[in-house]
Amino acid sequence: MGALAIKNVTKSFGDTHILKGINIDIEAGEFLILVGPSGCGKSTLMNIIAGLEQATSGEVHIADRVVNNVAPKDRDIAMVFQSYALYPTMNVRQNIAFGMETRGVPKAEQNEIINRVAKMLQMDHLLDRKPSALSGGQRQRVAMGRALARDPKLFLFDEPLSNLDAKLRVEMRVEIKQLHQRLKTTIVYVTHDQIEAMTLGDKIAVMKDGVIQQFGSPQDIYERPANLFVASFIGSPSMNFIPCHLVQQGEQIGVTLQGNGVPQFIALSDRAELKDRVGQKVILGVRPEQWDVEQSEHALQCAVKITEPTGPDTMVYSEVNGVEMIARVHPRAATAAGTSLSLILDVKKAVVFDPETELRIA
Amino acid sequence: MANSEKFWRFALYGALLFAAAYYLLPLYVMLTTSVKSVEEIRVGNLLSLPMAVTFDAWSKAWSTACTGVSCNGLSGYFWNSVQMVIPAVAISTMLGAINGYVLSKWRFRGSEIVFAMILFGVFMPFQVLLLPMAQTLGMFGMANTTAGLVFVHVVCGTASTTLFFRNYYVGIPDELIKAARLDGAGFWRIFWRIILPMSTPIIMVTLIWQFTQIWNDFLFGVVFASGDAQPITVGLNNLANTSTSVKEYNVDMAAALIAALPTILVYVFAGKYFVRGLTAGAVKG
Amino acid sequence: MSTPNAHYGFAERWLPRLVLAPSFLLTLVFLYGFIAWNGYLSFTNSRLLPNYEWAGLVQYATLFENERWWVAVRNLGIFAVLFIGGAMAIGITLAILLDQKVRGEGAIRTLYLYPMALSFVVTGTAWKWMLNPGLGLEKLMHDWGFTSFTFDWLVNSEMSIYTVVIAGLWQSSGFVMALFLAGLRGVDDSIIKAAQIDGATLPRIYWKIILPALRPVVFSTLMILSHIAIKSFDLVMALTGGGPGFSSDLPATYMYSMAFTRGQTGLGAASAMMMLATVAAIVVPYLYSELRKDSHG
Repeated sequence: MGALAIKNVTKSFGDTHILKGINIDIEAGEFLILVGPSGCGKSTLMNIIAGLEQATSGEVHIADRVVNNVAPKDRDIAMVFQSYALYPTMNVRQNIAFGMETRGVPKAEQNEIINRVAKMLQMDHLLDRKPSALSGGQRQRVAMGRALARDPKLFLFDEPLSNLDAKLRVEMRVEIKQLHQRLKTTIVYVTHDQIEAMTLGDKIAVMKDGVIQQFGSPQDIYERPANLFVASFIGSPSMNFIPCHLVQQGEQIGVTLQGNGVPQFIALSDRAELKDRVGQKVILGVRPEQWDVEQSEHALQCAVKITEPTGPDTMVYSEVNGVEMIARVHPRAATAAGTSLSLILDVKKAVVFDPETELRIA
Repeated sequence: MANSEKFWRFALYGALLFAAAYYLLPLYVMLTTSVKSVEEIRVGNLLSLPMAVTFDAWSKAWSTACTGVSCNGLSGYFWNSVQMVIPAVAISTMLGAINGYVLSKWRFRGSEIVFAMILFGVFMPFQVLLLPMAQTLGMFGMANTTAGLVFVHVVCGTASTTLFFRNYYVGIPDELIKAARLDGAGFWRIFWRIILPMSTPIIMVTLIWQFTQIWNDFLFGVVFASGDAQPITVGLNNLANTSTSVKEYNVDMAAALIAALPTILVYVFAGKYFVRGLTAGAVKG
Repeated sequence: MSTPNAHYGFAERWLPRLVLAPSFLLTLVFLYGFIAWNGYLSFTNSRLLPNYEWAGLVQYATLFENERWWVAVRNLGIFAVLFIGGAMAIGITLAILLDQKVRGEGAIRTLYLYPMALSFVVTGTAWKWMLNPGLGLEKLMHDWGFTSFTFDWLVNSEMSIYTVVIAGLWQSSGFVMALFLAGLRGVDDSIIKAAQIDGATLPRIYWKIILPALRPVVFSTLMILSHIAIKSFDLVMALTGGGPGFSSDLPATYMYSMAFTRGQTGLGAASAMMMLATVAAIVVPYLYSELRKDSHG
């Protein structure tokens, strides 16, 4: 059964086009992430799903029903907001009860639901407090409790963790994931944080300028980004983009890379897509962890400019083909700034982009 | 270094106290004069303390002083003002709250223009309204009535109250409204259950601001009311400008204090909100 | 529940407009409609009773030849310059003094500001007594031994407008203090610390860093004060009644006496239009810029 389907949704204000034809389809129980930089239209799309804004054209289906003309309260959805949006003059119990009260849920049932939700989120002791007497994490919990009390077909999370400090954010992230696994509900989750996107999502829609750049599983998007934008947005540190020429050496097609030593030919063999492009400019996309330190005659010699130890790995900054390049290497393998490092590329994982269209070609 | 520091602190407090005296002296003069007898005023001077405190001037100002042709003191005017100020403040505050709610949380195409139009009402010189308003009130039989004055104050006060509430509500996150809508609450339910309970501070500010404005108004009182409906400010002005053979400054001062008493009390007990109102009215949020 | 809810869009879209409508209509009719009505009256020959026959610019011609009107305009000039300048100077000075971590700041602030709670009529009545030539300030100075001291501004047609300035300053300067104190408290502390580390002296910090940062406050205070000045009516009525003669008239009192005591409705309407034009010239650009800022913020 389709839980949520968005068909050709657009949104414009006069000449400003916020959304330019969005198509998304997910199954019940899936965790969908809408991710992108601010202004990409992800929040607008969320509001359209919730019914808080109306689409200029296109259809929104929730549980196989067109909801374009259904009021937010009748869409069978619940939402957790970035600012939590707890009603400041009501205590936690009243906050959770407000929606049920509006829908005319009997008092006894309300209490039962409130107690169940409070137990599930371990916030029984907070029920009589006002939001102002809660910490950030507790407010977040209450906001989730309020959504859970609805038991909706669809949960909407609008950047729910961005007001928390780093440690709490990681904790709540895990908790949301556990909740999802336990309840098997369908969730749409908006974030600008690519780590949240990767860790939480079953499906990710990467958005920019009102267009979905890529829609797929986290691993797919990480390994096979559709274009330069997606490649640079997902992953931290960002993917290295190295400008080079496609050349043919004997049977093999490849690129030439140069650090501070002799130029090295890197074969991109078995990639049929590249055959027609020999002689053309391309951009080689290499993630920092796709480099390995190894002494070999095929290794690329790079001058180490800066090293950044992060604990488990060390980021090494150097220069390849005239642009900055970051390699994530084992802390013991990294050498000090000013020295030279031999790097071997994991060719199978590297990707190639067309510099004109910015699309991935191989 | 320490000495010059001390000197400057000394000078600072000196200057501040001097300024305090400047603001307080008129009040002191009013108070002392109002409890002196006419004879004592003639003998003493502005700053001399009263030798024999008497409240004759107060009772005269309240009940027997002449305000023009009639000589019934200020009491009637005082109650006129009370009857005018309560409904005028209540209605304009209510309208302001609802307008502010719409203009901040339910904007629609053109609502900003409506806001700008209402906002101009805060600044416009009311002189341009006087003649048409006098005609209109006359047409509807509301000239020289308290109801007429209430109406005028509501029309002219709604601009400021709308501005106050709108600026306050702009600071309430929109997400709260969205959450309430998802919870199934509509326009009115959100207003009554979510917004209004959060509005206590701005309601206080607005009530106090409107009370002070309307109580202290003289222009509308003198133009639109005559005789039985005149407010206290008009009464005071009449009293102070009625020529008697001997000018009774003690009665004038007692009358001025009676007229000032309600707003001074509000200032003393709710000064915090009063100051906030002044700044809110001035510095648009 | 699977049928589209017909009320959804309807209520969302029309209820807010409906709710705003009464106030909008009140504004439209009683502010803008009346401005138009008053504007029309200013082009008629209305005397004691309104007369709706078009008479062109007669009233404006009369107004511009009327000596009393020019006295009122000149007085407004004097009053506005001294009142605004004085209130700003006193207010800013007091705000800076109070900003020096003064003990009892709350109490002092309360004292400075209470005149703002008074009616201008009360203020006028009080100062009328204090400045009166027989028993007021003059007598006090005589009692203190300055027997040659005379103070007759209240009854001196050359000086009467200055008494209005004195009373106006007393009432409103504390207000300016409050605005600026609030502004001073809003200035980012770290800027001041940075300036101190750079070795700037306190007066220099105020003059070069803090006051420039308060430009918006200066601006809105100027707006409010000029607006008070142009509207000033009660203070003059209570203090001097516009006299002696019409020497302390302001446009507001001029308009009142023409329209309501001297039966010159058309002339009164014309003078009101002149006041409106003055206010609009100051306020409209201000509102425009404020609202623009708003929608881009």
